[in-house]
Amino acid sequence: MRELAQLALDEAVAAGASYADARAVLDETESLSVQDQRVEGVGRQASRGVGVRVLVDGSWGFAGTARLDREAVLSAARTAVAVARASATAQRRAVRLAPVDVATGTYVTPHDTDPLDVALEDKLELLLAATAAAASVDGLTFAKASQDTWKSTKWFVSSEGADLHQTLLQIGGGVECVAVGEHEVQTRSFPNSFRGYCGTGGWEDIVALDLAAQAPRYAEEAVALLTAPELPSHTGTLVLDGSQVALQVHESVGHPLELDRVLRYEAAFAGTSWVGLDDVGRLRYGSPLVNFTLDTTTPKGMGTYGYDDEGTPAGRHPLVVDGVLCDFLTSRETAPAVSDDTRSNGTMRADSWGTIPLIRMTNIHLEPGEGTLDELLSDTGDGIYMATNRSWSIDDRRLNFQFGCEVAYEITGGRLGRLYRNPTYAGRTPQFWGSCDAIAGRDAWVVYGTPNCGKGQPTQVARVAHGAAPTRFRNVEMGVR
Amino acid sequence: MTGGSALVGRAALERLADAGLDAAADDGVAGVEVMLQRDAGGLTRVANSQVIQNVWREDLAVSVRVVTDDARVGVAGVHTDDPAAVADAARNAVAIARVSPPDPDFPGIAPAAEVGEVYVDETTVAASPDDRAAVVRALLAEVDDAWEAAGTVATGGAELGVFTSAGQAAYAPRSAAGLTVLVMGPSSSGWAEGGGRALSDVDPAAAGRRAVAKAAAGRDPVDVDAGSWAVVLEPPAVASLAAYLGYVCFNGRSFIEDRSFASGRLGETVVDPCITLVDDARSRDAVGWPVDAEGTPTRAVDLIRDGRLAGVTHDRYTARQAGTESTGHALPAPNTWGPLPLFPLFAPGGGTIDDLVGGLDRGLLVTRVHYTNVVHPKQTRLTGMTRDGTFLVEQGRVVGAVRNLRFTQSAIDALAGAEAVSAETGWGDELFGGGGRQPALRLRAFSFTSTTSFG
Repeated sequence: MRELAQLALDEAVAAGASYADARAVLDETESLSVQDQRVEGVGRQASRGVGVRVLVDGSWGFAGTARLDREAVLSAARTAVAVARASATAQRRAVRLAPVDVATGTYVTPHDTDPLDVALEDKLELLLAATAAAASVDGLTFAKASQDTWKSTKWFVSSEGADLHQTLLQIGGGVECVAVGEHEVQTRSFPNSFRGYCGTGGWEDIVALDLAAQAPRYAEEAVALLTAPELPSHTGTLVLDGSQVALQVHESVGHPLELDRVLRYEAAFAGTSWVGLDDVGRLRYGSPLVNFTLDTTTPKGMGTYGYDDEGTPAGRHPLVVDGVLCDFLTSRETAPAVSDDTRSNGTMRADSWGTIPLIRMTNIHLEPGEGTLDELLSDTGDGIYMATNRSWSIDDRRLNFQFGCEVAYEITGGRLGRLYRNPTYAGRTPQFWGSCDAIAGRDAWVVYGTPNCGKGQPTQVARVAHGAAPTRFRNVEMGVR
Repeated sequence: MTGGSALVGRAALERLADAGLDAAADDGVAGVEVMLQRDAGGLTRVANSQVIQNVWREDLAVSVRVVTDDARVGVAGVHTDDPAAVADAARNAVAIARVSPPDPDFPGIAPAAEVGEVYVDETTVAASPDDRAAVVRALLAEVDDAWEAAGTVATGGAELGVFTSAGQAAYAPRSAAGLTVLVMGPSSSGWAEGGGRALSDVDPAAAGRRAVAKAAAGRDPVDVDAGSWAVVLEPPAVASLAAYLGYVCFNGRSFIEDRSFASGRLGETVVDPCITLVDDARSRDAVGWPVDAEGTPTRAVDLIRDGRLAGVTHDRYTARQAGTESTGHALPAPNTWGPLPLFPLFAPGGGTIDDLVGGLDRGLLVTRVHYTNVVHPKQTRLTGMTRDGTFLVEQGRVVGAVRNLRFTQSAIDALAGAEAVSAETGWGDELFGGGGRQPALRLRAFSFTSTTSFG
């Protein structure tokens, strides 16, 4: 495969590219889904291809092909150059790339056992045991369990001399308990919604979830939600579990700090950002407790790798420190917009050989505070605790948001009390993070995967992650009707 | 021209399918289905009034599903044009099936059935990067320097083949083109979009002018209070409503599992009789296929007819459970979503969009909505934001622009208050599904639950 990438690179340069890079990628995926004791689907996919990205006269071109014969790869390279020449006819400013330390090397996701090497029967047995355990709960309508593996082996070469080989292993698994009533459908998911846990690692991480042991508690909660009251509409104190904080970070911090959004590259689709280039060092993003970090080295993080898809090495970069903005998520093309000295912080990823790399969230964390969840609740007095995302929506500048969660509990006298169903909350980004007055500590801090982040045209789906702990916000609108 | 494309044709797909069918048959399975989808096309992306991304890609995805004599099912896929790789995928599918538990409800592989055709435009299939660049230049010519433009131009062709051991041998080509334009100024933005089965279905100059006009009319928006408003939804906003309503309400699987508003209610009148919603992938006003991923011919399905819940979409699995026939809405296996209506189109009514606005005493004109999501599936309650042109209407006239609002609203309840449907249609697209022409709707009450600080 590496030879094919080199072939494409050489042809692109020969055809006139002033810069070119090529990725040869083999993506192997496996998806297992069961509902109760029925296997809903077992599927394996393999996708191989070569993508070549070129700059000609300061304009981009890209072509990708799944045909791996020599002529098809050469043709793709020439097509990329032709595409770039067409781009130049509607170009105002030439693209300028920030320098990068040219890298050569390899990276493999740390893991013990590749799930693709585990017998299919063993994987199905684990899932069927989880749904059987859930089904033991009276009143549950059905339970689903799933396990996913995404293995990407890629070779990257560039006209600057980069030569990289990476094998990234991403895994997921979880159980979903569904209770159906006359006018209600209630779901409780473990350990997270949208197919559960996800991260980089191996089969051992799926086994460690112990889905069968956890499932009954979540099944019981799903059944109880059918008869729980709706969360009343009110404004008050809200404590979010770490998984919901993770999605809050995703939507209201990660996306608006993508520099391509700030520069309006995504304006016609995902939107722009409420944050401007001049806000660095000045904008108060949240309360002084709030620290956000980009870290592509976080163990088990879905966005952890050796190098991004432009060849920039992984690293750790603060984005917001003590509540004040200090950086964006950048690429080689966008970094010079910040300053002539700014370099990419390595967030460019493509979701296949056939798509171009875009700025993606990788791992964006809310840094932990202090104490346990129990201590946080005890300190809260009265409020609402919400857990596990159910729905999400935010405007095209990432200001006005509304989230729904699977479950809420009243906090009364510092303890969890009555159960509520269909909880929602809403707010605006800077006011919401400005109202943050407590974050639980390192022991409660978990890296949560988000496997379905859409961006770009043609739309790409990225798997990213956010470290977060239970967090408290004041004066929040809840129970949106 | 480098970067254009041509269809590879039925024989090329059938040759690959035969490799999968033969390999699986050699392993002694009871049924085999080989689905092949070839896509080739380009997308040119504009931002800051210039081309910022420009991509071309060709791909051929092959998926083999097998079922054994004792109803064990396996699926394996590969992206290739190599028959040997397809044969390997078939053998993988057999290996997966052999260790999977039996599924006694599996309905079997699709039999032979005649598949209709959809309109294919060869010029659109073969469109080159230069052709897309010409469209971009025509669009940008309408946007003077007072404004900033963004958007996309996409062209391409695709082919779908489904070949089964039960005798189905379906092949269908398709062409598609799309255009979006966002025009931004200091205090406002405007939107236009177009699409269809041919590049000639889009008019870049008209779209550019429309987006500029929207942005100009949207200058200096003011706040209005959240609350219940009468609205006219333009076609892009209607497309979002249709897509999400289709997703939560008319999926045969959620219908059977009692998770849908429609469960147990077919035949009931639940919205105003002026509303008819039909899923029609084959329509010239949409860009769907005439056959689904299992090889079943795609049917037009009445979802709502004259205000009455009329039907849901099925694949072979849900059809068997429901005691009916597949409507040709299967997604590629393994499919845990169920059979989705991807092209739900509201039937046009009478008059123009301006006529609908003319009938609004006081309300809001909504150009499009953003980031719609499901709050409560069984109640069809959705949330999302208005975007790129929201206007206050008084006594039938647009009197000014307003800042964006968030809606939180049951789609069924909104349609129960439908007052009028336009005969005039426009293109609308959503994140999933393929887009189609929709009318505008005038709705008596639409619930907005919060506001934001820009228009």
